[in-house]
Amino acid sequence: MLEAMTVVTPARFEQGLSYADFVAQAKVNRDKFEKFYNDPALTNDDIAFFKKVATLPAGPAKILALGEDWCGDVYRELPTVVRIAEATGAELRVFRRDENPDIMDEFLLNGKSRAIPVFVFYTKDLRYITRFAERSAGAHKELAAAIAEIGAKLGLPPGTTFATVPDATKPMFLQELIGQITPRFPDWRKEAIQEMRTLLSTALPAAAHA
Amino acid sequence: MSQDPVKAVPIVYTIRGCDACVKLLQKWDSEGVTYDERRVELSQGVLDEARKYGSLVPIVVWPDGTVQQGFGDSIGCFL
Repeated sequence: MLEAMTVVTPARFEQGLSYADFVAQAKVNRDKFEKFYNDPALTNDDIAFFKKVATLPAGPAKILALGEDWCGDVYRELPTVVRIAEATGAELRVFRRDENPDIMDEFLLNGKSRAIPVFVFYTKDLRYITRFAERSAGAHKELAAAIAEIGAKLGLPPGTTFATVPDATKPMFLQELIGQITPRFPDWRKEAIQEMRTLLSTALPAAAHA
Repeated sequence: MSQDPVKAVPIVYTIRGCDACVKLLQKWDSEGVTYDERRVELSQGVLDEARKYGSLVPIVVWPDGTVQQGFGDSIGCFL
């Protein structure tokens, strides 16, 4: 079981940074963290859900966040989780990914990618509940669909992935991709919240009725 | 000297925690390519400078002004 092998012991959890300290130590993007903290994308229904779930006997009371201040996905998503922690009274600890490779290795995306942010939800006594990593499943699907669509537009063979795009075509491919997915970021933030709700509802059946 | 040595080599904006950035630097190092690395994660000023050229590191600005974003098998990291 995860608990038996985890490096996230109670003592280690306590070593994580508070959000205020994480932002205070950030070398870049402090303005972005502030902007998204002030616009967390949470609805009143979302807040009510997370508050209700937090009252469950095995509900989330601690949240571990893995991130880096230079990462766009982190400055877009972490402030939302900060707001969730503030609303529910959960204890949030932030760990810098590159200073905590052992924790990162425990929560690799698809078992191989050091994708961030990662938000791990724990009970009060630090039993693992569930986790969210990087982006919602819907966002990953959209990204894959955009890659396929742009590949077709540029005359690349079906099944093209970014890795198989010819080097000469990559600049144009990336320009198209960035233009297509950047406007989707606001919706991806909302989808991330929905996915966290789904993850908690699945892990805590009583939460499905919250 | 009349020549600006900074402009004679590609400028590359990187984040050392970004796999695509690390792979590009490893490739260039193995090929003996000379470059001017500017680490985005260490300075807001460098990050702002990089954003003028793109939103995905690594960002390479070649001496002729050509700009390339991303490298290798992975898309790279959004700034």
